[in-house]
Amino acid sequence: MENLEKNKTFHRRKILAAFVLFFLAFLGLIARLSYLMVGRSQYYSEMAQDLHERERSIKAARGRILDRNGVVLADNKTVCTISVIHSQIKDEEAVVDLLQRELFLEEDYVRSRVEKVSAIERIRSNVEKSTGDRIREANLSGVKVDEDYKRYYPYGELASKVLGFTGGDNQGIIGLEVSYDSILEGEPGTILTVTDARGIELDAAGENRIEPVDGSDLTISLDLNIQKYATQLAYQAMETKRADSVSVIVMNPQNGEILAMTNVPEFDLNAPFAYQGELPEGATEKEKQDLLNRMWRNGCINDTYEPGSTFKTVTAAAGLEAGAVHTTDTFQCPGYIMVEDRRIRCHKRGGHGNEDFVQATMNSCNPVFVTVGLRLGSERYYEYFQKFGLLEKTGIDLPGEAATIMHKKENIGMVELATISFGQSFQITPIQLMTTVSSFVNGGRRITPHFALEARDTEGRLVRNFTYPVREGIVSGETCETMKMLLEQVVENGGGQNAHVEGFRIGGKTATSQTLPRGSGRYISSFLGFAPADDPQVMALAIINNPQGVYYGGQIAAPVVRQLFENILPYLEEEARSGKG
Amino acid sequence: MSRFRERRGNKSEQYFDYSLLFIVLFLLGFGMIMIYSTSSYEASKDYGDAAYYLKKQAVATVLGIAAMIITANIPYHFWERFAVLGYLMSAVLICLVLTPLGVEVKGARRWLDFGIGLRLQPAEIAKLGMILFLASMVCKMGRTIRTKKGFISILAVPLPISLMIWQITNNLSSAIIIFGIAALMLFVSSPDYKRFFILGALGIAAVAAAVYAVVHIASAENRGFRGERILAWLHPEAYASGKGFQTLQALYAIGSGGIFGKGLGQSMQKLGFIPEAQNDMIFSIICEELGLFGAIAIILLFLLLIWRFMIVANNAPDLFGALLVVGVMGHIAIQVILNIAVVTNTIPNTGISLPFISYGGSSVMFLLIEIGLVLSVSHSIHLREV
Repeated sequence: MENLEKNKTFHRRKILAAFVLFFLAFLGLIARLSYLMVGRSQYYSEMAQDLHERERSIKAARGRILDRNGVVLADNKTVCTISVIHSQIKDEEAVVDLLQRELFLEEDYVRSRVEKVSAIERIRSNVEKSTGDRIREANLSGVKVDEDYKRYYPYGELASKVLGFTGGDNQGIIGLEVSYDSILEGEPGTILTVTDARGIELDAAGENRIEPVDGSDLTISLDLNIQKYATQLAYQAMETKRADSVSVIVMNPQNGEILAMTNVPEFDLNAPFAYQGELPEGATEKEKQDLLNRMWRNGCINDTYEPGSTFKTVTAAAGLEAGAVHTTDTFQCPGYIMVEDRRIRCHKRGGHGNEDFVQATMNSCNPVFVTVGLRLGSERYYEYFQKFGLLEKTGIDLPGEAATIMHKKENIGMVELATISFGQSFQITPIQLMTTVSSFVNGGRRITPHFALEARDTEGRLVRNFTYPVREGIVSGETCETMKMLLEQVVENGGGQNAHVEGFRIGGKTATSQTLPRGSGRYISSFLGFAPADDPQVMALAIINNPQGVYYGGQIAAPVVRQLFENILPYLEEEARSGKG
Repeated sequence: MSRFRERRGNKSEQYFDYSLLFIVLFLLGFGMIMIYSTSSYEASKDYGDAAYYLKKQAVATVLGIAAMIITANIPYHFWERFAVLGYLMSAVLICLVLTPLGVEVKGARRWLDFGIGLRLQPAEIAKLGMILFLASMVCKMGRTIRTKKGFISILAVPLPISLMIWQITNNLSSAIIIFGIAALMLFVSSPDYKRFFILGALGIAAVAAAVYAVVHIASAENRGFRGERILAWLHPEAYASGKGFQTLQALYAIGSGGIFGKGLGQSMQKLGFIPEAQNDMIFSIICEELGLFGAIAIILLFLLLIWRFMIVANNAPDLFGALLVVGVMGHIAIQVILNIAVVTNTIPNTGISLPFISYGGSSVMFLLIEIGLVLSVSHSIHLREV
């Protein structure tokens, strides 16, 4: 039954043919493999590497902000982020117990996170370092403690609107934190890790690390002590006068370094998103954000106001420069002045009678300054307005400086010119006023108000020395001397006597202006003072917004500057002597 | 020695192909190393046991070697009487997949589970059954095979089984292999060449036409999943998240292996990037870990194995034995070629395992039974004294 047919020669030849066929196929595959593994090796290796590597960024420590004496105003605090890696957890109960105890979390919440099957689950961020350390020391597998930096402001509210704060991504949101973001932020580093297809990092593969470059420290001109004192006085004035807000700026008129800038109420930099007042019932997100934005506003530079009588300094300087007025000119003030058909009143009903220009300045006499303005004429007045730099921004190194709101040149008639002459019908920022007046008392130089002095890296090497533009020749030296004399007289014998400080020569000018709309009973009273009057080293501006009761600048704002000067002038002298100031 | 030889049998010395046996054993051992290397990471994640796949494969291999030893010691003519039965059995078993005995794994219903802990792929039995049936049929046909009728009837025999495997178990690659085995056995048993050239040309033309149709004519709806596989074959990057995913991941593995490879155990792509890399895609991991040198060494080993098959077939005492060996040779050669071609994206992706190396219990068991048959044929070669 068995089939025993013979294996013939052609069978052998055919089998050999089949083998040759297979052999050729194998050769083809070897060729294909060689092409893939030699010719295309680099291409596929890179694609594969791309697939296996995960990039994780390492935050760079943000640079600190230091005051002029090296006191840290903005710092970094180490905080921890606690996460769990499900696949590495060995003792689930212990992990749940530890985390809910240390982090004060609901047990159910922790348990649901711990039991969740995921690559990595974040339990809580912004945990204090001490807590993070305790959790790390418990040494439970599957619990991960990552350290991170968080911005920290040791003085809380102090200079909040100047310093500003950062958001969660380590980026400045307002203030100097925005202006100098690029210097402070540094460069984040990266960790390249190799992971499997699930995204789990492989320990054995090792990591490729690019270290972060920490941000540079920024030294600013602010003086902690002066800032503290200015803030304290501002709060005091706000409370006693039940004012809406009080702003104080202290600046060196010679170089524009700002020693203090406060706008009370300030806010807590460590909790910038907590609204200070009461949120209206049912406020929408947008309304809340608007309220926060208002809370963060820096009135000294973000808002404009009608400067009022302090602006008479500009009229005086322009008149003196143009020769339109001399200190010996005499005037007659009947208590008002007629401009075209308008009757513009002096603040003193009965009028100041006969007075020379020095006395008129001491009296802050409106009719006299209107007369000076009219003598100049709108054309020339506008030219000086422009020459003094009032139409440009000051260039202060804080974001959001407001521009001057001024009549168009062709729209300035006699009445407008008259009102401009005593500081009404247009708006400038407080910092603009200070910058302009500085040029009248520092020899005619328009300085740039600023905070930043220098930036140094973490090793203390100088990264950048900040310099600012100065424009010379704003007014002549002669005008400067006259202006200093006039303004010293205001404090010595005129409306600014409340700013007098025993043993120091003080110059200054008061202002009281009714806010728009007129007749609302709301006033802004202010005082601008400087010392020493013959060679000003410090200038201060106090602005009280909507005070209750007495509202004259000479009576409520001048004392703020006096108290400030009483404290800081001896202090500044001390510093000057020790060679620091 | 010579006295011993005379005592055993006075005709001539008996032959046994040890080199073939050692090549197979080496491939099995190498396969298990690679299965462990490839699957241990995923296995410890999924089952908490790095050797999960290795252990299962080891059990199947031991059973397979036992079966091989038994088969090798039974004269191969013993099986001739089961030729028709084997053919029918294959058909019945394939149909059983549709009954509750059938098991679905990862969306494909290809296995039978008789509740004894081992899953059986009827396609593997069908390959063995087809080799046996065709060898016996060709011998019975005698010279009729040279006629057109004989030629066509031999080609017609595997068709029902191939179609069943394709349609019922949705396993095109096994269907192609079975048909390929039949074509090879026919080629060897017929002295003709012309018909085979025509057959080959027709086959190539049909494939080219199908590819052309898929690329240029068929719309997305009637293209079907095979059509999309063809497109993914032509442009794996464009189908990176779908049909081209596995292919592209395999290419990453092969390409990143380079000339000398990353070293045994150092593959990255096995860490879940290539799903179930221990199965059909194991060759890509071999490339990644052992490089072009390792890959060529394995190919040469398979070539050596096929060469041994040729030696045994050419020296087989009769046509039946020779055809059995040719069938096994065709089975293994076609499967190796198709597997490597798929892994290197030389042909469209279809599920074919690499013989002796890929993970898969029933595959390795039936392959070893086939080796047993070949050894049995080699055993009956009588070396004539020169």
